[in-house]
Amino acid sequence: MITAKEIYLSYDKNRFIIKKGSLHIRDKEFIFIGGNSGSGKSTLIKSLYGDIGLKHGEMFVDGHKMKGISSSDLRKLRRDIGIIFQDYKLINEWTIEENIMLPLKINGYSNDISKKQALNLLSHVKLSHRKGYKPNQLSGGEQQRVAVARALAHNPKIIIADEPTGNLDDYSAEVVWNLLKGANEQLGITVVVVTHRVPKNFGIKFRQLSIEDGIIYEVS
Amino acid sequence: MKSLKSIFSFIIPLTAMLITFAIFLFTTKVVEDYKLKISNDYSIVVVSSLPLIKDNLNEFAGIKVKNIVTLEKNDIIKNMKENLSAKSIELLRKKLPFFYKIHLENYPTTLQLKEIKEEIKQIKTVKKVEIFSKNHNQIFLLLLIIQKIIAIVFVVILIYAVIIIAKQIKIWFYEHHEKITIMRFHGASILYSAGSVIKQAVLGAIISFFIVAGLIILLNENLSLVFPLELQSVVNIKLSVQEELIKVFVLSLFISVSTIFGVLFKYKLKND
Repeated sequence: MITAKEIYLSYDKNRFIIKKGSLHIRDKEFIFIGGNSGSGKSTLIKSLYGDIGLKHGEMFVDGHKMKGISSSDLRKLRRDIGIIFQDYKLINEWTIEENIMLPLKINGYSNDISKKQALNLLSHVKLSHRKGYKPNQLSGGEQQRVAVARALAHNPKIIIADEPTGNLDDYSAEVVWNLLKGANEQLGITVVVVTHRVPKNFGIKFRQLSIEDGIIYEVS
Repeated sequence: MKSLKSIFSFIIPLTAMLITFAIFLFTTKVVEDYKLKISNDYSIVVVSSLPLIKDNLNEFAGIKVKNIVTLEKNDIIKNMKENLSAKSIELLRKKLPFFYKIHLENYPTTLQLKEIKEEIKQIKTVKKVEIFSKNHNQIFLLLLIIQKIIAIVFVVILIYAVIIIAKQIKIWFYEHHEKITIMRFHGASILYSAGSVIKQAVLGAIISFFIVAGLIILLNENLSLVFPLELQSVVNIKLSVQEELIKVFVLSLFISVSTIFGVLFKYKLKND
């Protein structure tokens, strides 16, 4: 599903954040990527959805060669990925229902189907009663639940989450973990989560990677 | 309030440009109508020792020949008949050259007139050419100058309007940057992501069109208030409203859409 071979990532010419990094993530795996602040966790997952380009090395995500990927291929790849951001990245001028409908509409689903799926997911994240609310009318935990619902809406092949519970209270964090576990176990979605704190007694099989000094390690 | 202000920043330059364009269309029509009116009354007289082959004379100084009328010798002789004997008249008939009146399709400028005179003089049999340059119409020249000035003003305003519109669209892209980025992370095309900016610009173009259309209709219905009646007898100042509105609408949409795509292309290059 995801293969990286001796990749180098950087925002400027002088300093590589990921150096000679290699990883292999199989289909339907649940992966945690850990490491200290500034270690390059977020940079690594940004490269998975093409937000940052490779300086050197080779990376394949769902069969797409990431180095020199064309805009149309990148669009196709992103339509098969659900992304959860630490800062939620919801569109504030839209209702939460419309936010969840976004990936469905981009994937060509009709308004009716998108709406139905959005309502279904809102009930899963226990926010049905707030469907007409705008994101800035909700708490951080509620916003992240909406972001998870949006990431799941179009039944993606991969979910990439950057510190999805970093700013959440325990209840919201638990809801988010349960949704991600369910997506992996029941829907067979490959999940890659960046977190500096792997939850205890996670309950499903997972693999853990860590980044230190720009180098990716497998945590045994 | 903020969005109203930002849409006004788009509408005002576009409306100013469209008004100048409407004035330019109006003056062009007035000049063309006047040109047609005076070109019907205008002709060049040519005197030739041998008959001219009309089929060879199609164009002078880039202006097409409408028709060539042969002036009958009898009409000329008729005026002198009383003072001449029959023998002299017969001799005169044989010796008289051929007279022609050339009508052109368009009314020539003074420079074109000189050029036409030179071209006709090249014909070996032509003895004399009368272009009546002294009678050449001064109103027409004045109208031509006004038309050129308005064309220059229109081009200048067009350039300024496009710059201001492009700046406003850039501001809209900046305002919607987060939304566009989120949509693109989900695999949307740049066109889909920028949909709200495009909608805003098209709305602005339509509002501008309606403002200018309203002004054109208002002006058309009150022409006598704006232009004195005396002027209306000299030049045809009637507006062809439907034709003008179509042209204004097409220009309004064209400028807005092409400016959006220009800015969009630049945005894509910067953010991809």
